[in-house]
Amino acid sequence: MRLELRWSDVDELVAGSATRLAGKRLEIDLDALRALLSADARLTGIRLDLVHPGERCRIGRVFDVVAPRARLDGGEDFPGVLGAVAKAGHGRTLALAGVSVVATDQQTDNVGTLAVIDMAGPNAALSAFGRTHNLVISAWPAPGTGRSDYLAAVRLAALKTAVCLARTAREAEPDRVEVFELPPSPRVPAELAHLPRVAYVFQIHSHQRPTGLDEGILYGDPVRRMLPTIVHPNEVLDGAVLRGFMGRSVTTWATQNHPMIRALYEQHGRTLWFAGVVVTVAQATEPERVRSAFLAAGLVAHTLGADGAVFTKIGGGAPHVDMAQAAAQCEALGVKTTAVVEDMSTDGSAEGMLLFDFPGVDALVNVGSSQEPLTLPAMDRVVGADDLASKLLGEARATYGTLCGAIEQVGTTRVMAEVR
Amino acid sequence: MMATETLRVVCYLNQFFGQLGGEEKAGVGPQVVAGAVGAGRAVQQVLGDAGTVVATVICGDNYAAEQAERAVAEMVALVAPARPDLMVAGPAFLAGRYGVVCGALCAAVQTELKIPAVTGMQAENPGVELYRRRVYIVQTGAEAARMLDEVKRLVALGLKLARREAIGTPAAEGYFARGVTHNVVANASAADRAVAMLLDKLAGRAFASEVPRPAFPPVPAPRLIKTLEGATIALVTDGGLVPRGNPDGIEALNATRYGAYSIEGKTSLDAAQYDNPHRGYDTTWVKQDPHRLVPVDVARELEQSGAIGKLHETVYSTVGVATTLAQSARMGREIAEKLRAAGVDAVILTST
Repeated sequence: MRLELRWSDVDELVAGSATRLAGKRLEIDLDALRALLSADARLTGIRLDLVHPGERCRIGRVFDVVAPRARLDGGEDFPGVLGAVAKAGHGRTLALAGVSVVATDQQTDNVGTLAVIDMAGPNAALSAFGRTHNLVISAWPAPGTGRSDYLAAVRLAALKTAVCLARTAREAEPDRVEVFELPPSPRVPAELAHLPRVAYVFQIHSHQRPTGLDEGILYGDPVRRMLPTIVHPNEVLDGAVLRGFMGRSVTTWATQNHPMIRALYEQHGRTLWFAGVVVTVAQATEPERVRSAFLAAGLVAHTLGADGAVFTKIGGGAPHVDMAQAAAQCEALGVKTTAVVEDMSTDGSAEGMLLFDFPGVDALVNVGSSQEPLTLPAMDRVVGADDLASKLLGEARATYGTLCGAIEQVGTTRVMAEVR
Repeated sequence: MMATETLRVVCYLNQFFGQLGGEEKAGVGPQVVAGAVGAGRAVQQVLGDAGTVVATVICGDNYAAEQAERAVAEMVALVAPARPDLMVAGPAFLAGRYGVVCGALCAAVQTELKIPAVTGMQAENPGVELYRRRVYIVQTGAEAARMLDEVKRLVALGLKLARREAIGTPAAEGYFARGVTHNVVANASAADRAVAMLLDKLAGRAFASEVPRPAFPPVPAPRLIKTLEGATIALVTDGGLVPRGNPDGIEALNATRYGAYSIEGKTSLDAAQYDNPHRGYDTTWVKQDPHRLVPVDVARELEQSGAIGKLHETVYSTVGVATTLAQSARMGREIAEKLRAAGVDAVILTST
């Protein structure tokens, strides 16, 4: 399978009379976009704000971030959720660099679970979204819209916007073309047969929180009864996998720009042979967890024939143990593993960083502690959270977990917890 | 504190390094002398213009070991009048009694006098494991052979502490990891580091895991010394069962509280009377039927039929998600003590 991401750089984001890309300036017809998004009866009072890197602005109530992408020649955008169910990962896809779509959640009263993005100050450097121009969508639930319906509508609005923005690059000559091409896993050229075969085990959801009917995660499927399965890495990069509605330290943007898949592609054919991706979910019960762990390990060891595997998790403590259990099963089958964990300690003690101790699962990388305190400096403007503006304008105490994009469980950023 | 200011330093030495004598003087109680003596002279030499050793506290190893609390309190009282900016204890090398006192004194000086303290020891010194979490302990050799070099590292770290400067990693500064975590910005993304670590592991090269393996002490299950027919059985859960309204205010995560709930006179739990604040799993099904978490119904049947002697009339419950190890251990200990005092023989512990 061969996927081309055709990147166009954006260094200016402005409101305009038409939605178009003029050189590196992206103009957006906000009225037309608002009209497009208003067609969803579950939403009302849609507001669009443009914010820019360096601006003393804080985005509040952040729910998810989506990268602008659109299929260039046929195929479906975000298949199964926005577009019809169809295979992703092959062909040409338009991508905009330097601009992100930020979806906010105007419904929940439990604002502690929502994140912020700082566009200036020290926190801007900690997150990819402090360095991009952002189109912020604020939409309120129409009367009678339940929680899951509302979140599905908000996410859909962000996906529609992402496609609408990326389509402006249709006629543009891309600034760069990134090619992702991986032959069927067993077809290793003889001269590369000595390379270790490496698989990636990607936990895409945790059933700590059950998915809603509309909470499409894998090609629109809410993965309620999903067993471990193999996908091509290009499918992940091309919109087949979306983040669910549980927002802890993971964004759809990070999945679309998956750092582990990129890292493995980068080494593919040089220091390793990228054998494939196994997607899993963290399970809610013990039999499901055991079953999932050995099925995932079996796919890695026996089907992909991997010598090594990298693991990431999503969510909190139970998924952390799920991942480690699958990694331990791999080690038992002779597959070497590394796992990416979040520092799980809630009191900053090294003893609490891990919730497992399985034989062989001894090579661990961490993405930092989301509990560690962080200062939010005073800003001039708050976007996306009018009701919290007085609180979010001034200097406030928060945690790394509050800062969207500072900690991504798939390993995007350089933040790590160091033991001292 | 200005970096240019001359710092006041107090040293602590045992009878040997304080030049009172050898083992025959190990019973000598705490005393203070002005300025630097014995090994304290090395500290003064390394400090140079940056600081002055204004006093040295000396105490015999046996005196300090045999009445540790009293000895430390007496020494703290001797340190305080010198109004130091920094306490330097030892280094104690592999001397066990000496190392433990160095750690205890540094910890006490930090908490009681709010003065930064630093000491040095060899890795096997028991003082390391006892005090490394609370005190900066610089790693030294087993003996005083390379004293000056080691005192240099000790003083360098001490000066940073006294000046409230940022402290580097254990490897960079040469101290034993204190077991606290801090977010920093690494030189590569976590994904890149994970792939690099895997390649090292696959190739059989050395790799450094970024997370220490936890040392969970094994807890052997005690043997039931009675028959089940004569035993009192209690139900305990970390799955978050609470009476409606959550009267004890048990936290949804990172719990510090647990509740004791009477089931006296109940043959089952009425779902309408219970709730569940647990944020770590899908509580839909246990809210619908609390017996899925705490099987009072079946336990009562077993009690009726005589399969078990008696069901304990109190259920203990907490929320087990993102709970710190320290809180979990404390709550477990307290619950166990209460169960034992009530004559409970065995526990059915349901987790989620």
